[in-house]
Amino acid sequence: MPSTKKSRFLQLCIIVMLFAVPVSGYSMDDDDCLGCHGDEDSVAANLFIDQVSYGVTDHAELGCTGCHEGISDEHPDDGLIPALVVCADCHEDIMEEYQAGTHSDHAKCGDCHNPHRAFGFADVCCADMNDQCAGCHDAEDIYKAHNEWLPQTKLHLAMLPCISCHTDSECQMVVWYIVKDTNVAKIADFEFVEYGELEKLAMGKTVQSLIDLDDDDFISKAEMKVFNQNPKYKSFRLQGRLSSECASHTLTTLDNRWDCCFCHCSGPESMQKSVVALPTEIDTFERIEVEDGAVLSILNNSPDFYIIGSTRSFLLNIIGLLIICGGLALPVGHGFLRFLTRKNRLGKEE
Amino acid sequence: MEKKNMVYLNTTTIRIWHWLNALGIITLCLSGAQIRFPEYITLLGSYKSVILLHNTAGYVVTVSLFIWFIYYTFVTRTLAKLYVPTMDDLKKGVIKQVIYYFFNFFLGRGENPHHPTPDSKFNAMQKSAYLAVMVGLMPLVCVTGILLTNVEPVRQYIVEMGGLKILVSLHFLVGSSLCAFLFTHMYLSTLGHSPMAHIVTMWTGWEEEVEGHGSSTDSH
Repeated sequence: MPSTKKSRFLQLCIIVMLFAVPVSGYSMDDDDCLGCHGDEDSVAANLFIDQVSYGVTDHAELGCTGCHEGISDEHPDDGLIPALVVCADCHEDIMEEYQAGTHSDHAKCGDCHNPHRAFGFADVCCADMNDQCAGCHDAEDIYKAHNEWLPQTKLHLAMLPCISCHTDSECQMVVWYIVKDTNVAKIADFEFVEYGELEKLAMGKTVQSLIDLDDDDFISKAEMKVFNQNPKYKSFRLQGRLSSECASHTLTTLDNRWDCCFCHCSGPESMQKSVVALPTEIDTFERIEVEDGAVLSILNNSPDFYIIGSTRSFLLNIIGLLIICGGLALPVGHGFLRFLTRKNRLGKEE
Repeated sequence: MEKKNMVYLNTTTIRIWHWLNALGIITLCLSGAQIRFPEYITLLGSYKSVILLHNTAGYVVTVSLFIWFIYYTFVTRTLAKLYVPTMDDLKKGVIKQVIYYFFNFFLGRGENPHHPTPDSKFNAMQKSAYLAVMVGLMPLVCVTGILLTNVEPVRQYIVEMGGLKILVSLHFLVGSSLCAFLFTHMYLSTLGHSPMAHIVTMWTGWEEEVEGHGSSTDSH
């Protein structure tokens, strides 16, 4: 090939590479997407994505195009509506489990889960879990349905995440949340304390250090006691919620949950494990393990948690037994002497 | 030949109250034991039914306590006279009864120092015990029980009183004390001139006073 022809051919190749490669390989990156979708003023409310909370999800690691395939760099000017994301592509097992139940006929994944705030089970507060159910299930209907058979209905509904009974988890644990007294009225709901308020209370230290005094990611019974009895935190306290240790998408009422014994007859051995769930900056919760047995301690744990039958105190059982034995001492002791001395009363007792 | 005098000690209202209260308290003790130790005691059926039974019996006993109070305070107006021990009762009466029950009774000598009459049905020991039970333990167990059946509306009051655990502990310990009292009470009711004498009195209202024997007193 003559040198002039050769150089022209190289020039052509360079031109093709300069134009053709970007056209075929270029697509929007996350910054491009969030440039609009992370700005409340640029998109409709349902298309807005909170960048902070999205950024820490596992989904963020995939990137926007990891789920939203086929979006061109002309979006949204191309007028094309992006294809629906298929969750089953990644969550095949969950989808299979979910579709076996009746919920799948009425709600798609996105009806309960915000994929841009897709946190793990442990990162979510029980009230948030119940909000997902409340999206479809009317509170009054829920109360009526449960009140037909469940004693103390309001108490159960207020203190339990729905999935405690409506998911396939055999193990329960107690999750402690910091709540505060609203001080509005004596008969009022307690509120979950938000991160900002705890941050102020911590005065420059971490929120965790309010309870976990030595910051070792483990809360001992002694540390629980210090928090519960600290006069500075008088309006705050730990409120326990019985929660499943894990969650499944088998959202039916499991047969054994109709039996009160599932929770109430499981004995103190089942009430050993607990965690404190502290709010984080991004409206999620961070769990810290608590020393075994804290739930059962009368003096160390929060005074505001009790499950009849299961959280009984061994020490109180002994004291109660001694009291009853005291009552039996007279009949047994006096009765025994009465029997031995019966001859002394012959003719006096009919 | 012994001459028997019949004394009308307990009116129909009091007898109905007593047996209803007794049934209620026995039910509460048994159902309470099952509620606390459900994995060991299954005497009264399912957990749900035993909760219902305990709550119902609790409200019955609470109403019964009100009836007792209103009857003795406003109808017969004898609450203070019958149930509040006098200084003399505390200084001498209790000692006399203790000597009788724990000494003379076994030796078969002497009579019960107290002879019940409609105006003075209880001996000094009974007055002290019944006052503690009826004015102290019973209201306490009823109030704690009612709070425990209505936790949500009054949660803040409960927290201010020390919390749910303290409330449950108090309810349990007072309940245990009433259970202990029940055993003692039932036994002492057999210490009449015959083992069934006081029980019959509480059923019929009539106390049989045997001249020369005197009448002992744990009929209530």
